Amino acid sequence: MADLITRDATSQTFRAGRARPARKGPGRREAIAGYLFVAPSVLGFLVFVLGPLLAALWFSFTRYDVISPPTFIGLDNYVRLFRDERLGLVYFNTIIYVIAAVVLINGLGLLFAVLINARMPRALTYVFRSVYFFPSLVALAYISLIWQALFQRDTGVINYYLEVIGADPVNWLNSSSQSRLSVIIVDVWRNVGFAMLIYVAALQEVPKELEEAAQIDGAGPFTQFRRITVPMISQAIFFNVTITVIGAFQIYESIIVLTKGGPGDSTRSIVMYIAEKAFADFDLGYAAAISMTLFAIILLVTIVQFRIRRAWVHYE
Amino acid sequence: MSSAAVLPSRPRSRRRRFPVGSAVAVVILSLGGIGMIAPFLWMIVTALKSPEHLFDVPPNWIPLEFEWDNFWKAVNGPLPLLRNLFNSTFIAVVGTLGILITAPMAGYAFARLQFRGQNAIFLGLLASLMVPVQVTIIPLFLIMRNLGVINTPWSLILPALTWAFGVFLMRQFFLTVPKEILEAARIDGAGPWKTYRLVALPLVKNGLSALGVIAFLNNPYLWNAYFAPSIFLNSQDTATLPLALVLMQGPFSTGQMNVVMAATTLAVLPALIVFLVAQRWIIASLTQSGVKG
Repeated sequence: MADLITRDATSQTFRAGRARPARKGPGRREAIAGYLFVAPSVLGFLVFVLGPLLAALWFSFTRYDVISPPTFIGLDNYVRLFRDERLGLVYFNTIIYVIAAVVLINGLGLLFAVLINARMPRALTYVFRSVYFFPSLVALAYISLIWQALFQRDTGVINYYLEVIGADPVNWLNSSSQSRLSVIIVDVWRNVGFAMLIYVAALQEVPKELEEAAQIDGAGPFTQFRRITVPMISQAIFFNVTITVIGAFQIYESIIVLTKGGPGDSTRSIVMYIAEKAFADFDLGYAAAISMTLFAIILLVTIVQFRIRRAWVHYE
Repeated sequence: MSSAAVLPSRPRSRRRRFPVGSAVAVVILSLGGIGMIAPFLWMIVTALKSPEHLFDVPPNWIPLEFEWDNFWKAVNGPLPLLRNLFNSTFIAVVGTLGILITAPMAGYAFARLQFRGQNAIFLGLLASLMVPVQVTIIPLFLIMRNLGVINTPWSLILPALTWAFGVFLMRQFFLTVPKEILEAARIDGAGPWKTYRLVALPLVKNGLSALGVIAFLNNPYLWNAYFAPSIFLNSQDTATLPLALVLMQGPFSTGQMNVVMAATTLAVLPALIVFLVAQRWIIASLTQSGVKG
């Protein structure tokens, strides 16, 4: 979640470390205390993150059904990935969710943030911020239950209002072409407020003098936004994009509640597929191979973002 | 220090184009706001409806009837919801307490102590934020099975006791504690533990509150979690509340949507209360982690 910040945070530490040679290194006692203080977190990390990650990597080279011990089968699982048509569709769905989440959550989040930043009574700002942010705190499972009812084809409120304005009712939950949209709507609705909140805070950090200077130089509002505001909030943009990408790759319970992955596999996400292969088919080796592809993609996206960020993000 | 943790309250923009732009902003935000509130409002109105009026057209947005019985039916339905509520609360409270002990200690060490390899260790911990539980779920399941804690609250509590995001958050808060204060405590003869416990920790109370709320709600094993619980817990009696509500959707037909929504209302209520009480801390610390880095 916070990996975007990593660079800054750590480079800060490095800098702090280098700037301190005047002091004669850390005391022995302090060092021991340091190790003891981080020990529980490091232990948790080794047992519940790094260990399982390496184990999953190992399983991905084996055939394993829980009952008999894993047998090494080399790259067979990875070869199988390329012949698995369901996997292709499931990844396609997931990537649509990710792209939609990044574009819509950040686009709308930034739009709402700019609007909230406009001059208005403080109480209004406060109310808007709270109202938009609240859904981010509610379990996605509960939110999906509500929307599942709203999305009902014949009895749902949404189709009622669509008909009122003269549009055709939409088959929100049982259509292979339209149901993905329902998953996206729920995801965007829940998370847009969080993105907005980050953008509001970032916008408040933009020095007003810069905007005014640009205005005096004759820059219109859009040029101003593109040339000054966006570069100044680039760090928040990268933070939000990373969070939405990683979050959207994990979409799970909303699909279970809304469509159960169907019709067919048309809304199934990669995480649902991993769970199905591992805990319904007991094909653990293959499921581990799929989960490694998910990890590789998240890793890749994060690295690419760091690269772009280094080239693009404005540091003060 | 406390003011540093609260949203910057700069004077508002000095732009002069006041009325038109702001009016448009308020109108658009109000429309969006209606969209954000409507589903919750619908949930509450439906939770109070009798079955006959469930599908009334046009849908009403103000409760016209008050079938409090629906809540009673939800709690006494086919699922032991109170039991599930207890499970969720127990897991989230114990897990959060664990995080409140482990994360500040590590955050303090990374921010204010010096030891060999601390940057590497910190980077490693941060990298774990890139490993969602979905990637490691198979080995995690096997670990829990070998520990004999599958289908018990401990399968979720154990991995929740430490949390890299919490370490990161607390490190940010401890970076705001002036070094001089800690140095003074050291000169007065306080050891590292005493300095931490009696001097540093009381200075980041806001951070602890924020961490508590965020961990309770957002840790992938605690209150709002669905994926890990759905893998580790496999009976109605051990299920957490989100699992139970999703299960409930099955046996109840759409004709009993009012009961399902009554249960959902009960489930959303704690988040609403936490939000009303703690939104300042939550908003401040979340935005701090995203903007200031």
